[in-house]
Amino acid sequence: MRRTDAILCGLSVLALFLLLACGREYDVRPSGTGTDRTSVIFPNYQDVTIPCNIAPLNFYYTDPAGARYATTFTAGSVSFTVKGREVVWKDRNWRRLLEAAAGNDIEVVSAWREGDIPVSFRWKIHVSPDNIDPYLTYRLIEPGFEVWDDLEIIERHLESFETRAISDWRNTGNRCMNCHIHAQGRGDLSMFYLRGEGGGAILNRDGKLRKLTLKDSLMISPTVYGEIHPDGRFGVFSTNIIVPAMHSAGGRRMEVFDTASDLCVADFDANKMLIFPETARKETFETFPVFSADGQSVYYCTAQARQLPAEVELMRYSLVRIPFDAETGTLGGPADTVWSAAAHGGSACHPKASPDGRWLLFTVAAYGTFPINHRECNLFMLDLRTGEPVSLDLVNDDKSDTYHSWSSDSKWFVFASKRGDGMFGKPYFSHIAEDGTVTRPFLLPQKDPHYYDKMLRSFNVPDLGNAPVRFDAREIGRILKEVPAEQFE
Amino acid sequence: MSRKTRRTLGIILAVAALAAGGSQLAFLARYPYFRKYAAQNGISLSEARKAWGHPDKLSEVAMGLAVEAANENWQAVAALAAEDRQAEVGTYYYNLANAMQGQLPDKLMDYYQPFERGLFLPVGSHSTPFIIACAGDVWFELGYMPLAERDAMLGMLFSPAHTGSRYLRRLAETNLVTGDFEAASKYLRILLNSPGDREWAAERFPDAWSPEYRQRIMEKRALLPRIDLVHGMDQAPLILRVMLGSNPSNKMALDYLLCYDLLTKDLDAFVGDFDPSLTRSRLYEEAMLIFLASKGGMTEDNFSHYHISPQTIAQFNRFVTIYKQDGGSGRNLSAEFGKSYWYYFYFAAKNEKN
Repeated sequence: MRRTDAILCGLSVLALFLLLACGREYDVRPSGTGTDRTSVIFPNYQDVTIPCNIAPLNFYYTDPAGARYATTFTAGSVSFTVKGREVVWKDRNWRRLLEAAAGNDIEVVSAWREGDIPVSFRWKIHVSPDNIDPYLTYRLIEPGFEVWDDLEIIERHLESFETRAISDWRNTGNRCMNCHIHAQGRGDLSMFYLRGEGGGAILNRDGKLRKLTLKDSLMISPTVYGEIHPDGRFGVFSTNIIVPAMHSAGGRRMEVFDTASDLCVADFDANKMLIFPETARKETFETFPVFSADGQSVYYCTAQARQLPAEVELMRYSLVRIPFDAETGTLGGPADTVWSAAAHGGSACHPKASPDGRWLLFTVAAYGTFPINHRECNLFMLDLRTGEPVSLDLVNDDKSDTYHSWSSDSKWFVFASKRGDGMFGKPYFSHIAEDGTVTRPFLLPQKDPHYYDKMLRSFNVPDLGNAPVRFDAREIGRILKEVPAEQFE
Repeated sequence: MSRKTRRTLGIILAVAALAAGGSQLAFLARYPYFRKYAAQNGISLSEARKAWGHPDKLSEVAMGLAVEAANENWQAVAALAAEDRQAEVGTYYYNLANAMQGQLPDKLMDYYQPFERGLFLPVGSHSTPFIIACAGDVWFELGYMPLAERDAMLGMLFSPAHTGSRYLRRLAETNLVTGDFEAASKYLRILLNSPGDREWAAERFPDAWSPEYRQRIMEKRALLPRIDLVHGMDQAPLILRVMLGSNPSNKMALDYLLCYDLLTKDLDAFVGDFDPSLTRSRLYEEAMLIFLASKGGMTEDNFSHYHISPQTIAQFNRFVTIYKQDGGSGRNLSAEFGKSYWYYFYFAAKNEKN
């Protein structure tokens, strides 16, 4: 063989190898009924309603036998066809399509071949003229049974695929950190916890960061769940003795319950913790406190104390409201029942009032106070103007739907759902109209349509913000190391 | 640069490359399980060295045990554990390999036993990632999927890459056993896109199950508890009793429970859990004799009921005689009785760190 032939032969083998190596598509099996990919496309964006400022909806076709896919999107006079199993948008084209469709529908035609047989179907994406708050924070955590490693809290720009860590394990010595929450969707008023020695509650108020030890000698634990008052001076929190446990059967995996829980108020100006008799009784548990939109009340969940864990399945929390004096930080009493556990045969968790005061969104599980492992856990909404429930039939699915938050204009909400695999929480968004019509939710779009196939962490407590928070993971690391925690008494 | 210098430089580089390659080959030959365990954790050899440091003989054996147990190659596990290195993880796999061959009680006292930690590795804030990665193997083999799944998830969580076929395979299988194919799908899809796991994953799709694999899943499924009980994270005896409540014929679970009772020296619990019609062993005979002697129950009826042989009774009497003669000292007992439960019961002391 001549030398040139040998070189050509070698190059051909190399080219073939590279072709085989690079040309291998992501194997989409298993899919179909009984799997975590039941829909023809994933994420399933059929008939969802999206805001007109959302990042491109990239997706893929789940049928492993399909080939020669072509997807045509049309809005008004704008039309694009994307070829291939993976539908990945060029940002400029997606923006043009969204602009053309704002307030209307995007008509979609999906076409492919099953062997020699052509297949096609039509579907729609509804584009709301309402923007969504452009920032979403969430904690990325493996569903790890109350332990952690390499935690990070991410802020995602919803109009693009950009993310940044606002706190992470690298800058905090791999410590536990709890989820970041905005007050009424505001980027300049938010907080989260850094646990462990030297940690504390990180309060972001008007862009100024403080590290707080929200505990005094009368409290049964440091603060756990809570929210910041719309004025920013107070925070309302629960203190909980939390016990993790396991189920031996029934696929329910982990059960987490409280053996005690009370409420308290933190005065961020006076560095004081305030405790009140109505919400610090041993015979009742109180948890998940949040402020009403006007800041005049506190919603929370409450249940009678029981023998635990033996009676854990009898622990059902009602949703109640108690007056709050925003001048003094005082919780009044008695509490009014907003949603009765006994009447509904369920247990309420995580109430969240919309910033306009119109809606109250919470989750209902069969029992207990830790719904993320309860498949039956669904979102529930009340119209606070009428006290009537709002239908969320299009929103809820067969796995845990919980950990929701509102956009600052009260037109969108986000929640974490374990639909599909049942193990990993993913953020879904729904729109609510003035008449209470709630739309089919859509999954947070990702640049790589197979992102969720590979993801082995949960999106924990997704929380919407109207502006980016003015700090990052490095700043949090500096505060952890250099700033002493302010003591509360 | 002159031609001669270039040539010399080339030779030096070639020799260095050969030496490096040779060193790498020697390393792989010396520590094959280090490489395999790294592969199970989805990391390269250099990443493994960075994460776990340079292996030694002890860690190589420990990783070998973990690798072979994940592949359910119990003969290899038994061979690796044959030398008693007085290490918890060694005992854990020694016991597990014996249990898989129906010999847990028969061989229990032949080996270092760090009390109950040789049966169930502790998963807690002081546990190493390696211990956590291994802890679920026993639960999977016993048929208790909640903890098998939890430990696989925790093993993955604390692994260097937060993934790895070791954990993903276990997570897929625990969910196949419980019938949660929606959850299993997630892990199978990831494995399907990993060249080393593709074939394994494809064979786990329910419509691709071989008769042998279907039987394996059905056998494991039959062991699942049917009673739901909310329990703590470290309540092994309670879990085993719940399992046995649903499946009294789960002999492996019964032997683990009885051995747990005996290693913790809880003879009252042992007698409560022991049903001589379901399992037999010289170990259980020895334990029953201590109990019967302390309760005034040394009768023929009891010996017959608990299948205690005349030879065991005679040896027990000899043990007691020497024990009394020496005023409770074990100095003249260890040679003859060092591998008896009597010797363990009277002389084994729990290490402070336990």
